Amino acid sequence: MNKLMKPTFSTAAAAASVLSGWLLAQDVSAAASAPASANAPLSWRLGPGQYRQTIVEVFGPSISITGRFDPEYRQDGLLTIGARTASISASGVERYDELAENIAAQVVDERNRDTLIPCKPASATASDEACARQFLSAAGRLLYRRALTEEEIAASVKLAGIVSQAKHDFYAGLAGALGNMLLSPNFLYVYKTFEPDPEQNGKLRLDGYSKASVLSFFLWNAPPDDALLSAAENGEIHTKKGLRRQVDRMLASPSLENGVRAFFSDMLGFSEFETLAKDPMFFPRFTPRVIDQAQEQTLRTIVDLLVVRQGDYRDLFTTPDTFLTRSLAALYGIPIVDTTDNGQPERWIPYSFPADDPRAGILSHASFVALHSPSGRSSPTDRGKALREYLLCQAVPSPPADVSFAVVQDTNHPVYRTARERLGAHATDAACSGCHKITDPIGLALENFDSAGGFRTTENGAQIDTSGELNGTKFDGPVGLAKALRSDPALTACVATRAVAYASGRTPRRGDAELKRIQAEFADNRYNFVELLREVALSDALFSVPPQATQLVTAR
Amino acid sequence: MRKVTALCKGASFAALAAAGIAPAHAETRGYVISWFGTATYVKDFKSSCPQNKNGGGAEWMIRDLMSIGYSKAEATKLAEGGEVSGPLRDKLSMRAVVNGKNVSIYNYPDAVPDPDIETVSGKFAYGFDLGGKNEAHKFIDPETGEKVDNQLWRAIGCTASFRAEPPAMPFPEEVSWNAMVETSPGFAIMITAEDFSKDGKVSITLNRVTQHLERDAAGNIMSSASYALDPSPKSHNVLEGELKNGVITITPKDIYLQAEMPFYPEIALRNAHMRMKLKPDGQLEGYWGGYFSRERFSYMITSRPGHGGDSIGIYHAVKKMADASPDPQTGQNEEISSTWRIEAVPAYLSTLDGKIVANAVLPAHPPAQVASADSTK
Repeated sequence: MNKLMKPTFSTAAAAASVLSGWLLAQDVSAAASAPASANAPLSWRLGPGQYRQTIVEVFGPSISITGRFDPEYRQDGLLTIGARTASISASGVERYDELAENIAAQVVDERNRDTLIPCKPASATASDEACARQFLSAAGRLLYRRALTEEEIAASVKLAGIVSQAKHDFYAGLAGALGNMLLSPNFLYVYKTFEPDPEQNGKLRLDGYSKASVLSFFLWNAPPDDALLSAAENGEIHTKKGLRRQVDRMLASPSLENGVRAFFSDMLGFSEFETLAKDPMFFPRFTPRVIDQAQEQTLRTIVDLLVVRQGDYRDLFTTPDTFLTRSLAALYGIPIVDTTDNGQPERWIPYSFPADDPRAGILSHASFVALHSPSGRSSPTDRGKALREYLLCQAVPSPPADVSFAVVQDTNHPVYRTARERLGAHATDAACSGCHKITDPIGLALENFDSAGGFRTTENGAQIDTSGELNGTKFDGPVGLAKALRSDPALTACVATRAVAYASGRTPRRGDAELKRIQAEFADNRYNFVELLREVALSDALFSVPPQATQLVTAR
Repeated sequence: MRKVTALCKGASFAALAAAGIAPAHAETRGYVISWFGTATYVKDFKSSCPQNKNGGGAEWMIRDLMSIGYSKAEATKLAEGGEVSGPLRDKLSMRAVVNGKNVSIYNYPDAVPDPDIETVSGKFAYGFDLGGKNEAHKFIDPETGEKVDNQLWRAIGCTASFRAEPPAMPFPEEVSWNAMVETSPGFAIMITAEDFSKDGKVSITLNRVTQHLERDAAGNIMSSASYALDPSPKSHNVLEGELKNGVITITPKDIYLQAEMPFYPEIALRNAHMRMKLKPDGQLEGYWGGYFSRERFSYMITSRPGHGGDSIGIYHAVKKMADASPDPQTGQNEEISSTWRIEAVPAYLSTLDGKIVANAVLPAHPPAQVASADSTK
């Protein structure tokens, strides 16, 4: 950040202090009344994807964002819920400071300023209040996701002027003020604010800007666009008809794909790819490129089936249709025709597995079988646990601290050659067998896929038995598991629950009437995921006023 | 791998025929060449190069410095102190004189004296009987025990840069290969047989592919990747062969594969012979032999001075050892008998119009996985 700005937002450490104190004041009262996930929290920290997308939406894709963000953590199965209680560490503030300074410098850079700044100063070596005001008020509205107050605009323009005068550079001043905005809690956090509800005397409602942010981050994983902010400003968003019009517009927008990708990346735990590694000696085809492409394969499959074709959510688990690159095809051991010229990036090619192929649905993608395996071996238990937790919303207890995994991990065991045999020996321990009964019969059906997602029929020379069971339904092999999963009512109930939780920032209580209604509508709509998004977006649950908000307003 | 034969049979009859492969009920396996370089045999280095006078890079540099007037002591000090750079290096490389002008010795190697490097005097080298009549030139192949022609090895086998034992590749070729692998199109081998588990006739097709080779996570060439065949007939070679005891040999024939700088400009072998093992891990490994243009070899060696060690010494040695195709006017042999070691990994091959014409066949039993120190169940 520009040195001359330091008196206003001094050093990064001081900034951390200011930011932390500010956030504390905002969130303490909410947090004190109930856990974040039980009540709708009043703010959330922008996730890395949301931060990046905001910069893209406001300044375009040419602005590069390099650097790491503060770590995210998962709560109730979603990073989005974890973000509701996420703070920013002192080192995190330093990183945001660097990002802000870097982004601001790019925006005012000679290559970009004519495109991104809507006015030219009278002199490039002096301050220009009118031009600074025009740019900062417009950019601030998009970054803060609301119109700036006159005081905020005046403070930013003043800061830009001070820096411009000191540096004899109008654009340096603009960069300083923009960097300040990018480091502001008003940008880094999304706040829900409330106002008296004119329809219900004595009650509160979410204000229009808050509704716009909730909707846009839910459906687009991006900040509200100008049309949505306008709908917030003119009150349209508060009317049923106006809200529906906006939701229809957003669901028809190409940006929906970005939102659907973000939702499933979160729900399927794709953040774990950041630490995923395989032993290259045993899984040489699991290259760094494959790590990125494994996620992309599943997300492309999801978008194609659920958004483009408006298909049945349950079919994600049985569909033979997907997209492959040469690297993924090599991992899976299948041929693919890619006639891309030498030296060009790999293409994504639509691919359909044959009807009798053991690979079908997203459970057979590397994004599931490789993600939920240790680096050197497959793990039916990890895979079964992941399926229950990520896809069925069922909690599986962690193993006791004093359990020995020696037999399970000994893949060169002279007697127990397959994972089934090793787990069978391990599960004779009564302390283990209970949990393994709910995970292993699922995961063992996926044993045709090794730790990296490659196909195999034997392990250590022994034939792999892929028979399994899911909640009483017996089957054989990965395709049998996929069919059993498709028929399990918990599958669709789970994704609907996750959608509500993702949108509202809280996991609905068991038996929640609105959730039941949404789940029923989902079934009536033949599990059309886009229709599920519509139901959630229009649901009363999304904009409900939590009790602590009323308490907060009353106290003030 | 699964349904390999069925998939190949179902998808590729027309394409196989178009590619020059016709058997009606055959299986076609695809490969890409993952290792190509001079076939070295260095187990008997001491007896093969008894003078051991060529030395390595430092000795070569000392010889070069002495050739422009430095004393041995001065040259040794400069070479071992690493001070041969800038103007001095330029002076060394521009010491050839043609038409009164200083020119690069690497462009005009005949314009400088032959350093007369030591050549191989031992008995063994990999190779094939190419029909050479000079019994004194024959080596014994350590694998087959047969008398073979391989004058290229005689010329270069005592130089440090070619003193490499597989899987290590000779240094100049390794540098070129590594530079080429991820930029230049690869070479494909298709082998068609009625039954790979039995002895019998096979058909072998060599082609260039349109994409460069893919590396795996361990840095090796990836198995079971897919490639499209270059439809140009320029690098299309169809060979008749035989599979016997897991080893494929061919009826000798000329072969040509277009290559790229800084690797050999072409892989062109006259009277090419082959023997390649079908290994249990699904890969091919073996030797190709034939007469190779001395000019092509020298071009590879002199185009990257430094990587080839004593490029000029090798140039002159190869020129002297060349044993075929004499120039009608000068009598200089323009080809040299040679042997090349190749490895190839399974690959899927398709035509540009989308037909899979060869399948990657990996072993039925993958290697055992390893236990890892994780805490999962």
